[in-house]
Amino acid sequence: MGASMEAIMGKLKVLAESAKYDVSCSTSGVQRKNNGDRDAIGSSAAAGICHTWSADGRCVSLLKVLFTNKCEYNCEYCVNRRDNDVPRASFEPEELARLTIEFYRRNYIEGLFISSAVEVSPDYTAERILKAVQILRNDYKFNGYIHAKIIPGVSPEILHDIGMAADRLSVNIEMPDSQSLSLFAPQKKPKQIFTPMRQITNTLIERGSLVGPGLMFKGVNVNTPSNMLGVGAITDSAEASIPIKRKRDGKSFAPAGQTTQMIIGAGSESDAGILTTSENLYRTFKMKRVYYSAYVPVIESPILPGISGAPPLKREHRIYQADWLLRFYGFTVDELFKSKDENLDPDMDPKVAWAIRNLDKFPIEINRASYEELMRIPGIGDISARRILRARRVGRVSVDDMKKMGVVMKRAKYFFVCGGKYYGDRKFLPETIKAAILGMENGLQTSMFDSSWKLLEAGAAQEKLAEAGVI
Amino acid sequence: MMDYLYDGTFEGLLTCVHMHYYNDRADGIFTEDSYQMNLLGGFCQVETDRDKADTVYRAVEEKIGHFALRCVYKVFLSSAADKEMRILKYLVMGFKVGPKINLMHGNDVVIGVQEIVHKIGRETERMVQFVRFSELEGGVLYAQIEPDHDVTELLAGHFTDRYKNERIIIHDVSRNKALFAFRKEWYIADMHIDEIPDFTDDEREYRRLWKNYFDNIAIKQRINPNCQRNFVPMRYRKHLVEFGGEM
Repeated sequence: MGASMEAIMGKLKVLAESAKYDVSCSTSGVQRKNNGDRDAIGSSAAAGICHTWSADGRCVSLLKVLFTNKCEYNCEYCVNRRDNDVPRASFEPEELARLTIEFYRRNYIEGLFISSAVEVSPDYTAERILKAVQILRNDYKFNGYIHAKIIPGVSPEILHDIGMAADRLSVNIEMPDSQSLSLFAPQKKPKQIFTPMRQITNTLIERGSLVGPGLMFKGVNVNTPSNMLGVGAITDSAEASIPIKRKRDGKSFAPAGQTTQMIIGAGSESDAGILTTSENLYRTFKMKRVYYSAYVPVIESPILPGISGAPPLKREHRIYQADWLLRFYGFTVDELFKSKDENLDPDMDPKVAWAIRNLDKFPIEINRASYEELMRIPGIGDISARRILRARRVGRVSVDDMKKMGVVMKRAKYFFVCGGKYYGDRKFLPETIKAAILGMENGLQTSMFDSSWKLLEAGAAQEKLAEAGVI
Repeated sequence: MMDYLYDGTFEGLLTCVHMHYYNDRADGIFTEDSYQMNLLGGFCQVETDRDKADTVYRAVEEKIGHFALRCVYKVFLSSAADKEMRILKYLVMGFKVGPKINLMHGNDVVIGVQEIVHKIGRETERMVQFVRFSELEGGVLYAQIEPDHDVTELLAGHFTDRYKNERIIIHDVSRNKALFAFRKEWYIADMHIDEIPDFTDDEREYRRLWKNYFDNIAIKQRINPNCQRNFVPMRYRKHLVEFGGEM
């Protein structure tokens, strides 16, 4: 036991080191009790569970490791690129399954996030990943969460089998546009990336389980033939245009849906460009989420930002906020930007920035506004908007009530009237409101990245929690 | 002025609510051991009465609703010093307005209960995150916790389901009680700290693996101890393997 444990310790060190730059650690999206097999272990909570937070403040929910870091590819930004001199290791499928179960029994984790470098070929590596997740599901009767990364170029059959065992699948888009991709990851082709993405979306539609991101498609049935994508790998377009053959075998394919991840700040893309790509991914593939990862310089390269540079955390934060507006607040990228090469205002929450540019839509009367209108007011989110609507059924809502319902007053007060009265202490002009909010927001931002988080408003904290995969 | 003293049980508290309506109005409700006598008013030692408690229990369920009953019970599990009066005021109001009490988000009495319910929810969630089992000789999974509020029984649902084939013990060492569970059955019983067998050999290895993994996954360029402390407050770290906790 002792010797093999030492070997596992060595592998874990190497393969966790390489996986840590992957952003997603979310375990949300599946509610599953431990009701099936008599011998099963594990369950899954729809809201996700974080078990601890690492020193960088990120949520640790899954055992996040690479299956192997021995790579055939030579992607410019990647620590595991073929030409980089780093220690290399690979798990055996059984080893990884056992490790996952033993961590899970101790309540360290919610499950496994398995990603990988490309050893020998995409199919060779994917088959070994498949073996590991099948051992977990079939031999250990593991009923917890599995997130599997799909390597571009993998064959449709293996992808399908992995999807039948995993809760969530993701194919990394890596870069926000194809120019950056061909520059930084010349061996990865857009087609190789979009083919598995399309297969996943189409399979979810076949099984009637596609949901879409956030509240974007709330109340809309997206599981229709018209949402099937292009020339599918399993179903071709001719078949897709006739009514879908529903699969009803009682099993589920990636019930927590599909996500992806892109790197921010390696190439020269604008925020508008990045978010346009995300919006397209949300509208076309109806992915649950796009994750953004501020580029952390790990290797020297003539075409990448220098190794001494700090990751663009502020920018990543603003992009996450804007992404949130797309998925939950009904905003479009066109509303957030005037032109395609524009960036978000680093000093201001994108929702506030939008509201100040669109002052003609404000102030909004709290006691008459619809849910959609309430959601446009900075400082009001889904929870407080719904509380206002509920409370209006029993009586008028006062400003005191709004505070108690969790509305962030110091941001909201410039943009609403309540019972006909305006509560902003300044003139209703873009410059004065902007100045007032900037004065206040400065304190918030420094707190975000330098010292304490406690100064953050509930709303902002909630958004950060969501980024961290907490909600 | 009349203060009621009860035995610290939920039934005892409900008996006080009954007496508030049918005997003297309660100005304060306290547990017997926490009561500071005052010179001005009288106090009355309430003997827990199952029938009276039952009457109140059913009245709450019928007239205010099951949700309200759950809220009240959660407040009872809290460590808030004035929890009894918060509950009493909430019930008095609930009996007047009925189920719509839970829509009155702006009312101070309702807020008084909802904020505690929220705290209990948060604490339960934290325990679900932070319970760390150790495998003891004989295969039992054992964990120590020290929650701010008495939430041990609220953990039963989650853990008995997830680990249905494991024998688990979640031990609240500050309250000397523990949750025992196996095959989806569970109970709460007294437990003292000196009764614990040794770890298995494997246990030490897996703890080392986990600690090592945890130390490795932070991205050095993004280190942010304040953020970490907000999510994992210092008081919980004592029982977390990855922070060097013993149990």
